[in-house]
Amino acid sequence: MTTTAQTAPSAPPAPAAPRRGRTPAAPYALLVPAVAVLLVGLGYPVYWQVVTSMQQFGLAQQFGAPPEFVGLDNYARIFTDDRLWAVVTRSIVFCLVNAFVTVAIGLGLALLMRAVHRGVRVVLQVSLLLAWATPLVATVTVFRWLFDYRTGVVNWLLVRVGFEQAAGFAWLSQTLTFFLVATFVIVWMSVPFVALSLYAGLTQVSDDVLEAARLDGAGPAQIVWNILLPLVRPVLAIVLLLQIIWDLRVFAQIRLLQDAGANVSETNLLGNFIYELGIGSQDFSGAAAVSIFVLLLTVVLSAPYVRSLMKEDAA
Amino acid sequence: MRTRRIGVVAAATTTLALALAACGGGEGSGDDPTDGSTDAAVEPADITLWLAGADTPDELRQYLIDTFEAENPGSTLTIEEQDWADLVTKLTTALPDAANTPDVVELGNTQSPTFTTVGAFREISPELYEELGGDKLLPSFVEVGSVDGTVYALPYYFGSRYMFYRADLWSDAGLEVPATLAEFGEAVKSLRTDDLSGFAMGGQDWRNGISWVFANGGELAVKEGDQWTSTLSDPSTIAGLEMWQDVYEGASNLPATERDVAYWDFLNDSAEGGAPAAATIMAPGWARWSIGDLTTNEEGDEVRDGMADASKFDIFALPGVDGGVAPVFAGGSNIGISATSRHPELSENLLQIIFSDEYQTMLAENGLGPANSDFTQVMTGDKFGQTLVETAAGSKLTPAAPGWAAIEGAFVYEELFQKIAEGGDVTELAAEYDEKLTPMLNGQSG
Repeated sequence: MTTTAQTAPSAPPAPAAPRRGRTPAAPYALLVPAVAVLLVGLGYPVYWQVVTSMQQFGLAQQFGAPPEFVGLDNYARIFTDDRLWAVVTRSIVFCLVNAFVTVAIGLGLALLMRAVHRGVRVVLQVSLLLAWATPLVATVTVFRWLFDYRTGVVNWLLVRVGFEQAAGFAWLSQTLTFFLVATFVIVWMSVPFVALSLYAGLTQVSDDVLEAARLDGAGPAQIVWNILLPLVRPVLAIVLLLQIIWDLRVFAQIRLLQDAGANVSETNLLGNFIYELGIGSQDFSGAAAVSIFVLLLTVVLSAPYVRSLMKEDAA
Repeated sequence: MRTRRIGVVAAATTTLALALAACGGGEGSGDDPTDGSTDAAVEPADITLWLAGADTPDELRQYLIDTFEAENPGSTLTIEEQDWADLVTKLTTALPDAANTPDVVELGNTQSPTFTTVGAFREISPELYEELGGDKLLPSFVEVGSVDGTVYALPYYFGSRYMFYRADLWSDAGLEVPATLAEFGEAVKSLRTDDLSGFAMGGQDWRNGISWVFANGGELAVKEGDQWTSTLSDPSTIAGLEMWQDVYEGASNLPATERDVAYWDFLNDSAEGGAPAAATIMAPGWARWSIGDLTTNEEGDEVRDGMADASKFDIFALPGVDGGVAPVFAGGSNIGISATSRHPELSENLLQIIFSDEYQTMLAENGLGPANSDFTQVMTGDKFGQTLVETAAGSKLTPAAPGWAAIEGAFVYEELFQKIAEGGDVTELAAEYDEKLTPMLNGQSG
């Protein structure tokens, strides 16, 4: 079919556009669409969030009553509420534990994938992808069934192994075991992303470096600690940062587990607390104030990481 | 290292985006509800009816759709089923928005005051009210749907709760249907074994638990002037809560954190015809259709036979402290027209159909207590209908306080009943929760 290609009318030569000089404005102009999307998609909601947090905004305002400006009253009310600080402490501890456990397990799996035979690795990767691709509600439902006090397979197995007291044990009834189950769910769902990202990072490590290390007599542990980890440190740092942010915002998993029967006020994390205030109790202004606080908290928690990443980049 | 830099910038941007997205929850829409247009002529349109849960049978839904379309040529009715659990959330966001509001909505009777007090519903004019049944409509439901004498939401149907029990297990143990609430407690406690709850009740299940409070003459809250006060510390309320604690601890094997439990599963024989997990449960009347032996229906599906074997499955009304019938929680729904509906005339036409003699009869025949008391006697044909009417007559509503939906949304009573179920000191807990609940009842955030 080369003939047709040859006979096809060729596009008229582009008119020689008057080339402006290399104006420094061009890169900024290219940034405009991205900034516009950010402003519309995120700036506008945040603006409303800030406005709402400084108003008296409840169900009556939702149905058309004019909201009253109350300045920082909502913040004062929220910050003097003992519930908030209990939830904040619980959320930060839960977030850090989950983020580190996830990254540790993910790193372990990534190293494992590097070490095993190709066939095994493909099976591992497919399994991870499947776990990751399962919809959240489906995953939590399966975990609820696993840990059901009456018909759950976990209790049944524990009894089989000899823990008689596990018969009928209600995992979600106690705060500690509730968060244990929640951790299982969240780690299960976030490990694949970490493992695959880290594995991708590990594949970039040149074999020459490793061979040189082996020649110098480094053992496997030394290679991991002194060569592999420092080389994938940037990926590791980003993944950990993302995990911390995601785990601080965890909401649906907790909510779905609470629906299976739990002490709601003692198992609320920040997301659930905001939901309960705003949607549950129609205190929209209080919920907005807590949301702004969570935004600042996220920035504070992640700032050191972002700064160290920037510094590394500049170096 | 150029690629690295892009990576870092991308990560930082992502971080910012995620951090900003972190505060997405709980945002109230800032839109003002646009005025529902008041066109003089009724233009044909499609109107939407929200029904809560699966309580309204398909046959009734189809009747509404067919009748509405026949009586309003060119117009159609769409029925959308909403989950009870998210109903308040959905109503909060949809009702103020004229573009998305359903025209007519069903909502729980106790949820009505929350919305009627903020003007979410269109007024039912006195003329229309008379036309739809007037004084024959269930007074307590009309009251929760009204603000200062103006009616906004009407009763849709009522239900009540009674006891379903395994007649075979009770008679094997030599037990009779109890005559008083104390006898009931003793009977179900004696039936309990490690594998069998004498009476299956979750610890957080306060909607059933408050029957013990009401039976002892207690109240959850009372209104003095225009202020609501939580009255858990009232001696009668405490007596009721302690009696419930005793029954829960002595007769139920369910965890203290259980709330919305499908109790009927406990009463049926377990898989392969094994022993049931409970000898007695408390449930709304329609639970009957989930109880019984397995049978095959016309479509060939495996279903329960609706308690056909009366020597195995039977019912009784929860007895009162001194005999008679204990007041139980009055379940049921109200129905109203959204204030922002663009088709108020068509919506009123739909109400005319719902409150027609035919539809009220159909409700009663299907075990849903009809809004119009003229049709209640349709139900008393069998023991299920009789027990429903008998228990409904004495049943009570939860406080019609402005903050009620907020209390339900924050699971406050669930938490209180859980702590009582775990063996907490009732007097101390009552004092603690009175303090928490009184401001919430009056619509101040807790």
